[in-house]
Amino acid sequence: MTDPRAETEGHDDIDRDALADDAFRMQVREWLQVNCPAHVRFPAGRMHWHECRDWWDILYRKGWIAPAWPRELGGMGLSPIRQIVMVEELERHGCGRMPDQGITQVGPIIIRYGTPAQKAWYLPRTLSGEAIWCQGYSEPNAGSDLASLQTSAVEDGDDYVINGSKIWTTLAMDATHMYVLARTDRSVKKQEGISFLLLDMKAPGITVRPIRNIAGDDEFCQVFFDDVRTPKSNLVGALNQGWTIAKSLLGFERLGIGSPRRPQLAFARLEKLARARGLFSDPVFMDRFTALRLDIADLSAAYEVFVEQVRRGEPLGADVSLLKIWATETMQRSSELMLEAGDEYGALGGDSDVEGVRLNVLAPFYSSRPGTIYGGSNEIQRNILAKAVLRLPT
Amino acid sequence: MTDAATLDQRRLLADSVADYCRRSDPLRRARALRDTEPGFDRAAWQEMAELGWTGVIVPEAFGGLGLAVADHAVVARGLSASMVPEPVTAAMIATCAIVGCSEGELKASLLEGIVAGAILPALAWQAAPGDIDPSRLAVVAVPDPASPGDMLLEGSACFVVGASGADGFVVSVREPDAPALHWVPAATPGLSLSMRRLADGRPAADLRFERAAVPRGNCLARGEAALHALGAALDHGQFAIAAELLGLSQRLLDTTLDYLRTRSQFGKAIGSFQALQHRAVDLYIHQRIGDAAFEQALRDADADEGTRRAAAASRAKARACETARQVTREAIQMHGAIGFTDDCDVGLYVKRALVLSAWLGNARLHRGRYAALVPLEPAEA
Repeated sequence: MTDPRAETEGHDDIDRDALADDAFRMQVREWLQVNCPAHVRFPAGRMHWHECRDWWDILYRKGWIAPAWPRELGGMGLSPIRQIVMVEELERHGCGRMPDQGITQVGPIIIRYGTPAQKAWYLPRTLSGEAIWCQGYSEPNAGSDLASLQTSAVEDGDDYVINGSKIWTTLAMDATHMYVLARTDRSVKKQEGISFLLLDMKAPGITVRPIRNIAGDDEFCQVFFDDVRTPKSNLVGALNQGWTIAKSLLGFERLGIGSPRRPQLAFARLEKLARARGLFSDPVFMDRFTALRLDIADLSAAYEVFVEQVRRGEPLGADVSLLKIWATETMQRSSELMLEAGDEYGALGGDSDVEGVRLNVLAPFYSSRPGTIYGGSNEIQRNILAKAVLRLPT
Repeated sequence: MTDAATLDQRRLLADSVADYCRRSDPLRRARALRDTEPGFDRAAWQEMAELGWTGVIVPEAFGGLGLAVADHAVVARGLSASMVPEPVTAAMIATCAIVGCSEGELKASLLEGIVAGAILPALAWQAAPGDIDPSRLAVVAVPDPASPGDMLLEGSACFVVGASGADGFVVSVREPDAPALHWVPAATPGLSLSMRRLADGRPAADLRFERAAVPRGNCLARGEAALHALGAALDHGQFAIAAELLGLSQRLLDTTLDYLRTRSQFGKAIGSFQALQHRAVDLYIHQRIGDAAFEQALRDADADEGTRRAAAASRAKARACETARQVTREAIQMHGAIGFTDDCDVGLYVKRALVLSAWLGNARLHRGRYAALVPLEPAEA
C-alpha cells in the first residue's frame, strides 16, 4: 500500500550518502526548525496519537519516519551513526516521542523475520500511521523475569487463541495493533516455549484498561485477552522462536536509553528553578548542582565512546548498559535536588508560578521514575554487567 | 579524534611502563620506602630518565620526547597503578613550568639535566592550603642591597610534593614590579625545608625562604609570561594527577574483582552474592565514566586559551577524585578485615588516592572552579 500523498509530494530524494555526517546533521536541524510543529516540542509526558499525528504525517511525507529501515521498504536507510545523528537532532529540537514502537520495534522485527505477506501488509501501514503498535511483553507476574510469561496462544484451526493479560502496555488505548510474546509450549525451558505474534486490537475478546500512573497520566494500560483469535499467518518467525526475536533488538536500543539528552533536559529545569530562586549564590547548592552538571557532562563523554564504536562499525557489547544506569540515576538525582531547591514549591502539584517563572517542580521527579524500571530494570542491568562484563561468579 | 600514529605512540609508552613495572616490582619498593627520606630511589629515577619518562613533555630541542600532556598521562597512569614511589608527577609539574618559560641558557641546561635524570626539580608556588590561584604569590623577591647581582627571597610556600631529594625548585615570587619564576637550588643558604609526612608515607615539605640569595640570572620568566607558565604547569599537573588517580583506581578495581572471584565464604565465592555484584558494577561504571571524562577533557589540555584548559583540568581532576574515592572506599569494605590491615596492598592505594585527591585542589574546589569558569549554556526545557 502506498499513501497517495507520498507520490504527489515526492519522497525526499536528496543523495544523503554524499553528504558528510556534519552536513547531514545541519540538514536535519534546519529542516526540523522549519517543519516541526510547536505543539510537539518539549511535551510534559508521552504524546497520545491524536496529539502528534500531524507531525507523523509531516515526517512520513518527507520520507523520514523510519530512519533505520531500508530505503526499498520506505525507510531512510541510514547508517547506524546517522541514525544516532537523527535521534540527537530530534532530541535537541525537543521533539516529543510519538507512539513509534511500530517503527522502532516491530517494523525491524518484521523486516528481519517476517514472511513476504507480513512485510507487504504491515510495513506500509506502519509507515503511514494506519497501523499504530503497542508492545505486549510484560505481564502482572512477569516483569523483570519476562521469560516466565504465562499468556498463552493455542492452535485452533487456522488461528491461535490467546488468553491471559499484558500490563504496562504503553499507549495501548491508541494502538490499532499489538505485537505479543505468548507461551506456545509449556513442556520446554521457559525461554524456548515463547512465540512472537501480531494481533489486531479490534479483535473480539480484547479489553484495554488504562492505568493511571503516579503522575496522574494514563500512559500505560493493562490489556486482557479472552479467547482472542489471531490468524496463524500472524506468527512472526518460527514457532517458539519469540524469545530470540525479542532479544535481537537489544544493544542498539540501550544506547538510545543511555543518551545524555533526558538528564540534560531535567537539569535545564533545575537550572531554571535555581535561577528563579536565586540559588546560584548558595555554595552548598552550587557544589551539588555542579557535581550533577559534571555527572551529565561526563555521561556525554561515555556516550560518545559508544557512538564512536558504532561509527567504526563495531557491534555494541553488554557494557553499553552502564549508560542506561548512569543516565537514569543521574536524572533521578537531578529531580531530587530540584525538590530540595523548590522548598514548598516542591509540594505543589502541576505547573506553578515560582517567583515569576512557570515551572512544574515535581514533573522531573515523576518522569525520572520509569527509566530505572523499564527496558530491564537497573538491577537487571547490573546483573548483566556483573556476569557478562565483570565475569563475577554465579 | 586522536590519530593512529599518536595512539601507537601511547601504546608504546604504556607497554614500556608495564614492562618496567613487571620487572622492577615498584609496589614492594613503595612499601619499603615508606616514611623514609627522600622516599624514593634515585637509581630508579635514573632508569626512568633513561627510558625517556622525565622528558615526555620536554621539546626535542632539549633532548626530550616533545610530546603532549596526554602522553605523560599514559606514563603517570601506568606508574601509579603499580604505586611507583618516585615523584614522577611532581617533577613533571616543575618541568612543565620550565618548558613554558622564556628561552635562555638556564632553561636549556635545566631541561637537558632533567631529561638526563641529573636534575630533579620540584615546584614551590602555593601560598596556603586550599589555594589554587597561581597569582597569589607568597614569596617576595627584592634586589639584594649588598650584592647587586642577587635577589633576596623572603616568605614561604606550602605543600611542596617531591621536595625531599629535589635538586632545586621552581619558585613563584613577587618581584617589586612583576611576578616571576626563579630557579632556586636546594642548597641555597636561607632556604629551609620543614618536612611533612604524607598519608602515603612519602614526604612533602613547606619551604621557608629567609633572605635566600639567588642570582638574578636564575629568573626563568617574568611578568605575564611567568604567570602563564605557572598556570599551564598547574593545569597540566592536575591532568597528570587525575591520570594517576584513574590508574591506581583501575588497578585496585581489578584486584578487588579478583578477590570477589576467589574469596570463598558460605561455601561459595563472595562475588556470587548480588549485593556485592551490584556494588562492583557501580565501581566499574565510575571507572568507565572517569576514563571517558578524562579522555574528553584532554582535548582541551593544550588549548591556548587558559580558561578552557583550566576548566578541562578541573573537570578531569574532580571526576578522577570521585572515581578513586568510590573505588578505594569500597575496596576496603569488599576485602573485609584484611583490607584494613597494613599488610594488604589495598591500604597503599587508599592512601595514595588520599594524597593525590588533596594535591592541587580537591574535588570540591575543582567543582567550584569549573562552575566559575564555564558559563551555563541556556537550554530549553
